[in-house]
Amino acid sequence: MTTLRARPAPVPVRPDGPAASGARRGAGWWVPAGVAALVATVLVTVTVGPADLAVGDVWRSVATHLGLGGLLGLEPLGALQDGMVWQLRLPRVLTAAAVGAGLAVCGVVMQSLTRNPLADPYLLGLSSGASLGAVLVLVAGWTVLLPVAAFGGAVLALVAALGLAGALGALTPTRTVLAGLAVSQLAAAATSFVIFWSATGDSYREILSWLMGSVAGATWTSVAVAGGATLVLGTLLASTGSVLDAFTFGDTAASALGIDVVRVRWTLLVGVALLTGALVSQSGSIGFVGLILPHAVRLLTGARHRLLLPLSALFGATFLVWADTLARTVFAPRELPVGIVTAAIGAPVFALLLWRGRRTT
Amino acid sequence: MPSARTAPRRPHGLLALPAALALALAACSSGTAPGGTSTPDGDDPASATVPARTTYPLTVEDCGVEVTFDAAPERVVTIKSSTTEMLLALGLGDRIVATAFPDGPVPPALADAAADVPAVAEPMSDKVPGAEAVLDAEPDLVYAGWESNLTADGAGDRDTLARLGVATYVSPAACKAPEHMPDPLTFEHVFAEITEVGTIFDAQDAAAALVAEQRATLDGVVRDERGLTALWYSSGDDIPYVGAGIGAPQMILDAVGLENVAGDVHDTWTSYAWEEAIAADPDVLVLVDAAWNTADAKIERLESNPATAEMTAVREGRYLTIPFPATEAGVRTVDAVVDLAAQLEALDL
Amino acid sequence: MTETRTAPVATGAEDRRDAAVPGAPPATDGLDAARVSWSVDGRLVLDGVDCTAPPGAVSGLLGPNGSGKSTLLRVLAGVRAPDAAPGRDAAHVRFADADLLALPRRRRARVLALVEQDATTDLPLTVLDAVLLGRIPHRSLLAGDSAADRDVAAAALARVGMSAFTGREVATLSGGERQRVHLARALAQEPALLLLDEPTNHLDIAAQLDTMRVLRDLAGDGVTVLAALHDLNLAAQTCDHVVVIADGRVVAAGDVHDVLVPDVLDPVYGVRCEVLTHPRTGRPVLVFDSSD
Repeated sequence: MTTLRARPAPVPVRPDGPAASGARRGAGWWVPAGVAALVATVLVTVTVGPADLAVGDVWRSVATHLGLGGLLGLEPLGALQDGMVWQLRLPRVLTAAAVGAGLAVCGVVMQSLTRNPLADPYLLGLSSGASLGAVLVLVAGWTVLLPVAAFGGAVLALVAALGLAGALGALTPTRTVLAGLAVSQLAAAATSFVIFWSATGDSYREILSWLMGSVAGATWTSVAVAGGATLVLGTLLASTGSVLDAFTFGDTAASALGIDVVRVRWTLLVGVALLTGALVSQSGSIGFVGLILPHAVRLLTGARHRLLLPLSALFGATFLVWADTLARTVFAPRELPVGIVTAAIGAPVFALLLWRGRRTT
Repeated sequence: MPSARTAPRRPHGLLALPAALALALAACSSGTAPGGTSTPDGDDPASATVPARTTYPLTVEDCGVEVTFDAAPERVVTIKSSTTEMLLALGLGDRIVATAFPDGPVPPALADAAADVPAVAEPMSDKVPGAEAVLDAEPDLVYAGWESNLTADGAGDRDTLARLGVATYVSPAACKAPEHMPDPLTFEHVFAEITEVGTIFDAQDAAAALVAEQRATLDGVVRDERGLTALWYSSGDDIPYVGAGIGAPQMILDAVGLENVAGDVHDTWTSYAWEEAIAADPDVLVLVDAAWNTADAKIERLESNPATAEMTAVREGRYLTIPFPATEAGVRTVDAVVDLAAQLEALDL
Repeated sequence: MTETRTAPVATGAEDRRDAAVPGAPPATDGLDAARVSWSVDGRLVLDGVDCTAPPGAVSGLLGPNGSGKSTLLRVLAGVRAPDAAPGRDAAHVRFADADLLALPRRRRARVLALVEQDATTDLPLTVLDAVLLGRIPHRSLLAGDSAADRDVAAAALARVGMSAFTGREVATLSGGERQRVHLARALAQEPALLLLDEPTNHLDIAAQLDTMRVLRDLAGDGVTVLAALHDLNLAAQTCDHVVVIADGRVVAAGDVHDVLVPDVLDPVYGVRCEVLTHPRTGRPVLVFDSSD
């Protein structure tokens, strides 16, 4: 084999210091810091809301439900207040955390797979397909089938996009993006048609709220679905750090580094689609999280995926929880769909990123 | 927990005295009136000597959802005007702890009652409030004017609220599912809602009296027999949103004696086309007057557009106006019929 | 060209323990590819190409644009599969007793490395991170970089003279600097076979000579080097063995002195050349003018 070190090369300068490789020296503490931030966020935001609940009361409710009531000698809260904390706020905060984490991870994967910094989890027509499924169900009045229809719509869109891309030849990044775009537009047009044709006056609001994305209706079932999907699929995706790194310089380079490009690409795309579909079925299509978070985290940690993936998940969760908190308190007693807040924050940040990128190249 | 009560209700512009008042008078004067016996009083069919009482628990089916009341609700959050006005008209204003999403000011007939209820003067929200805000008012009933008010990102999902011990009731005329939507809406539906609400709140006598009064008023309206046509212009600019064949607009137009040019569309309201309106050339135009889309703005729009300006009704200024809150089925509907009939008369066609 | 197949090249788990063990004596075998064909959309890009590259030497792959050099390198690297030609003998690509076509991908990535043209990224990747990518075949997919990995990367950067650029972002480098980073990445893979597609494209003359020197040094260490070159003089100066292809077919292969002659080059490139001798190195120097 090559004797790279047998040759009397000059003494290699061991690269240390954060500038050398992203923030590798700091790698040790980024993840714990992210976890701490997320936990603190959940603990704080669950005490915030339009209703006047004292912080102590909120903790009393949570502790009681966790079975610590007897231990700490706490009296449970009145039914309504307890319901506010345990049935409304806590599921909502936890669902937002799960959705934020999952979308961020999917965003990282999509941006790396398609080598496109503008990619997001909805690229393959997933959000448009889910929207079509959801709107059909909302207009027909079968609201209880909403999550299933949304998930089904996402999967169908994925099949259509991958089928279209694959039919054009090998599954290259460009083809994937274009096929996804085509399917997105088609599904969006169909959605608009259905809304125009069938929606009666007051159902517009529900449809709009879904299209913009909202965790307002989150129940413990949502937490289970979104949380489970993020934990299982998200963890799997987040462990593909080295594989995604290999894609940095293109398919040929990845292949030369020993990656089975075709199989990996298909597997990851399906994984992203399943996770995104599950999340969208619970929260509608919340935008900008999957697009912005990867860029923001890259600024802190560099482009190596081993750190980027878990940190994007943690920061994505924290971000969305705060965004939802804003959504339900800024205009109290009215509530905004959280998708509006993420867009309001995400769009200027996105513009900033573009502007920054323009200056360095 | 709220319990059944027997406090007499203050009548609001009602013609007939409820039996409770009669009994109270009878109790005050000694000897001259039949005190406490259940002799039926034949003169006033709306009142019985012994007022009907609701037995709890009471279960009603509302838009396909079963709602059970363990007692008369005492803390009600009302959403939209029709529900607020319903409670005020039944003398239940003191039960209202918060109102939201009003469509407009209360009618003059209810102004006195509304003055006593601070929640009416200061609604908690201009639009649909969030669930947490609603729960903060600690209601035992959320009475909504539209079915869509009670969704997760509105005032709360009906199941979720029920699990938290908060009953929900949607105005039956506003049910959206085909099997629950009144088709077509008639005054019997409106009166049935008044009666049902009266039952829920153990105010059956007030409800019966109100229904009787409204029936009498309605019977007193002389239907126009000239076969005039009308278009009910609710909102919309390029694409008008008009009253269609099976909802409150149709019901009101029928009672007044106007034929709805959009009446063959099987819906409550529908989007329409100006072309069709012009082709139909209705004899009169009924304009809905809302804060965000006033009747005056509609008139200006009709007159400034060269095509619609040629409509007979526009050229001759044959407009009837109706305030927006009165266009949802409720306690104002009969008065709205009376008002429109009077306006039609005044047009002197 | 026939190789004597003696010492098999270790391609197994020993690779992972590169640490302080000096490399085993290099195999005497080199690259041996035969009957390689590849077509796309019905168009034949490579037509039965035989290509060999002896170990411990720098071999040049020459030919005009569109002759199929890049495609051949990709097939050799396993990025593309050669056509399975029915009715003809199947293609084979062997390197030191190992059938590269049958080797699992990760194993193959530990044996050979490919340096491409124009590989860029928009991501904020530092030079060191880019070089560390070359260590991916050598470690488990779930593992991070080890100290050994960083040592190898640093040595690779030093070898191409890019140590000073360790913390810079790849996107901010010039074309030539990026090219050297890619070479360093390939070196970090510690390959026994190094394939390069026009590695001197964006480089100034000093950097070109420097790169070729690095390749010669690698060859001296026992690596088999095959580089597609467009500069015939650079090939003449550096390569021991050249293969000339045109229109997907091998026109000539062999020692530089035998192949870089007007009889071979004139029809291939459509020019007229004269072969002179370098005064100091004795290597052929080519001068051209257009054919009438």
